[in-house]
Amino acid sequence: MTIALETRSLTKLFGGLTAVDSVDLAIEEHAIFSVIGPNGAGKTTFYNCITGFYEPEAGDILFFGESLVGLSPDQVTYRGISRTYQNIRLFANMSAIENILVGEHSRIKGSWVEAILHTPRVVKEEKQAVEKARELLNFVGLVGLGDQLARNLPYGAQRRLEIARALGSQPRLLLLDEPTAGMNPHESTDMMHFIRRLRDELKITILLIEHDMRVVMGISERIAVLDYGAKIAEGTPAEIQGNPRVIEAYLGSGAASGLTNSASQPA
Amino acid sequence: MKKQLRLGLNAGFTFGIVTIFLFLIGFTGTSGDLLADLFSNKNAAPFFGLTPQMINMIIFLALVGLWAGSYGSRKSKGQTDDPWAPALIGGLTAGLVHGVLVGLLALLVGTLNLNNVPINMYLAAVLPAAIKMFLLGGSPVQGAIFHLILFTLTGFLGGLLSRGVARGSWRVRAEANWKNNWDGFNQKPFIKQVRGNPATRYVVYGVLLVLVFLVPLVAGQYWNYTIGTVCIYVLLGLGLNIVVGLAGLLDLGYVAFFAIGAYTMALLTAPAPQHLMWSFWIALPIGVVLAALTGLLLGAPVLRLRGDYLAIVTLGFGEIIRLLSTSDAMTSFSGGPKGVPSIAGPTIFGKPFNSGADFVYLIFLAAILIIFVTNRLQNSRVGRAWEAMREDETVSRAMGINTLTQKLLAFAIGAAFAGLGGALFASRNQFTGPEDFTFMVSVNVVAVVIVGGMGNIPGVIAGALVLKGLPEVLRELQDYRVMVFGALLVVMMLWRPAGIIPSSRRKMEVGTDAGVTETPKEGSEK
Repeated sequence: MTIALETRSLTKLFGGLTAVDSVDLAIEEHAIFSVIGPNGAGKTTFYNCITGFYEPEAGDILFFGESLVGLSPDQVTYRGISRTYQNIRLFANMSAIENILVGEHSRIKGSWVEAILHTPRVVKEEKQAVEKARELLNFVGLVGLGDQLARNLPYGAQRRLEIARALGSQPRLLLLDEPTAGMNPHESTDMMHFIRRLRDELKITILLIEHDMRVVMGISERIAVLDYGAKIAEGTPAEIQGNPRVIEAYLGSGAASGLTNSASQPA
Repeated sequence: MKKQLRLGLNAGFTFGIVTIFLFLIGFTGTSGDLLADLFSNKNAAPFFGLTPQMINMIIFLALVGLWAGSYGSRKSKGQTDDPWAPALIGGLTAGLVHGVLVGLLALLVGTLNLNNVPINMYLAAVLPAAIKMFLLGGSPVQGAIFHLILFTLTGFLGGLLSRGVARGSWRVRAEANWKNNWDGFNQKPFIKQVRGNPATRYVVYGVLLVLVFLVPLVAGQYWNYTIGTVCIYVLLGLGLNIVVGLAGLLDLGYVAFFAIGAYTMALLTAPAPQHLMWSFWIALPIGVVLAALTGLLLGAPVLRLRGDYLAIVTLGFGEIIRLLSTSDAMTSFSGGPKGVPSIAGPTIFGKPFNSGADFVYLIFLAAILIIFVTNRLQNSRVGRAWEAMREDETVSRAMGINTLTQKLLAFAIGAAFAGLGGALFASRNQFTGPEDFTFMVSVNVVAVVIVGGMGNIPGVIAGALVLKGLPEVLRELQDYRVMVFGALLVVMMLWRPAGIIPSSRRKMEVGTDAGVTETPKEGSEK
């Protein structure tokens, strides 16, 4: 199996605080891989390092063998990594379809001069881009809502639109940051199926940050656990559930011995 | 009942204070003069001792009184029973309070005037003649009684009237009716055919073009000048619209690029102080390019800043350019405070066209070109990137947009439009100097964009017409221009915060025809 994303002793410091502490991860292509950890464990900082918003102090990030360290966010996106946000961050005053078109920005080329002249190439490209955006709208189940302003969409639809926008850049790796936050059990089950569909139908790799253990245990193939910036465990869902260090990180020291058995049943 | 009394009192006090204010700034007199100018023979013989100006002032005050009455009698919350009594009580109370306040004012200024107190030393607009007019030529007591009766009566009438139109329900019904008719009209097969037909658009454009061609021929010199100014503000507004409205970069020093365009035109074509005397057609593109380059140069270090910080830095840059142009050090280079006279006008095949109409055509042409370019840019990959940056800069970077390049591009294109506007402006006026480039120009352009409708081409055109055109039409009111301006801004922000014509989005999901949806009113804020 090819490795899609690999971090080698990745470290990010904020002053004296070690937000990400020499994390080693290897994510196989077409996997659904979850990163979990208590609040403040450094999960989102980890994402920001991968996507180029933070430059790590030490270590390396390899994407299909190519280092991403030092690249700007737009260059990272261009290489095929895309993300969604914990708190939905759509372009609120643009229509749904325009949001997706912005997502496609790195895959279309038309310059400002061509835009003014309406060269045949740019006209054709634009037509294809809109066509592609309609397909994505269809894929995430938002047909008929394309001309609505993003901020007028219901919550669940906004989540899906954010994913559609991320897919616009044709990523090979999709980073999802708590995609089921604020959803009821029924909606988050839908989202689980949807994430699986993403992987199966689009053949992309998925890296997931999630707090809802039912979702994490339900769809992940492998899980890594961060605590205080360091990786304390990695393995299959079953392995993670039985790992005393993980339980300690979540529930405090001393909890592990009493809870090992009951924690093996997902809540 | 008590509630209605309070509403009436409130309305009475509010309108009383407004009326007193209008008198103190001399507006009551002006309104009389203006109405007399517009609707009657100014020099008609006095009618029962009243000049036409006085009669028209009474009409104006009566209208204010009616408004106060209807305002005071509006429905209080939760009121259902017997609509007549509260309406009349509200109107009458409002009228009485209004009348008492204005009556006291009349008594006060009248007495002071009789004792030869020079009020106009403190309040420049309150001249003895104005006081005499306000008292309708009578004694202070007569004047006070007259105002008391006038406002009480009109307040009562206002209450009756507002009852008569069923307090707004009439208006609601009329609007619904109108909308129904309009929808019905749109459903007719013939109309649908016309609307759906692409040819219709070209016909409309054609008619507009013909109008555009005819207007300068009909309009006189003064109006051509005004139209030219409005169109130059359309250019500036569209340029700033790209920077502020689309890319979301608040630039308060936009006048700098306007100045660079104007000075380039001036220095290259005028006989002094540079003795170059190049042709207009060479200087024009140089001005545009220089402005764009300055935009790039300024943008490169500054565009890392966001929001308020960017606004302050650009504001400073605008002032630097203006101060440079006034400084002694630059006098030998660019004319200093005296400015640059005798700037060349354009020629075509040796034929100069300095006449008003010719120049208006040239400015029209520039405006049409800019509208075209803006429209193409806005609906392209680049335009979308700009809007995404305005909405959320961080996320737009994560979407693969190189924000620094895109910001620089927006800044440079905006600056180029301003440069074009400046070059045309200098050439038309045949003179330019530092006083053409004050901070107020930047403020005006920002106001054009915001009042018109951010990120929207028709909005910017409407904004330029309202802010630069209306003041010319309302020359008589020029003393009150700033006041009207302020009132307009307050009203706009309350009722149409997204501008006169809010920006709309193209429908793209179904089909590719150019249908649009209007954004809701609160669309200006994210």
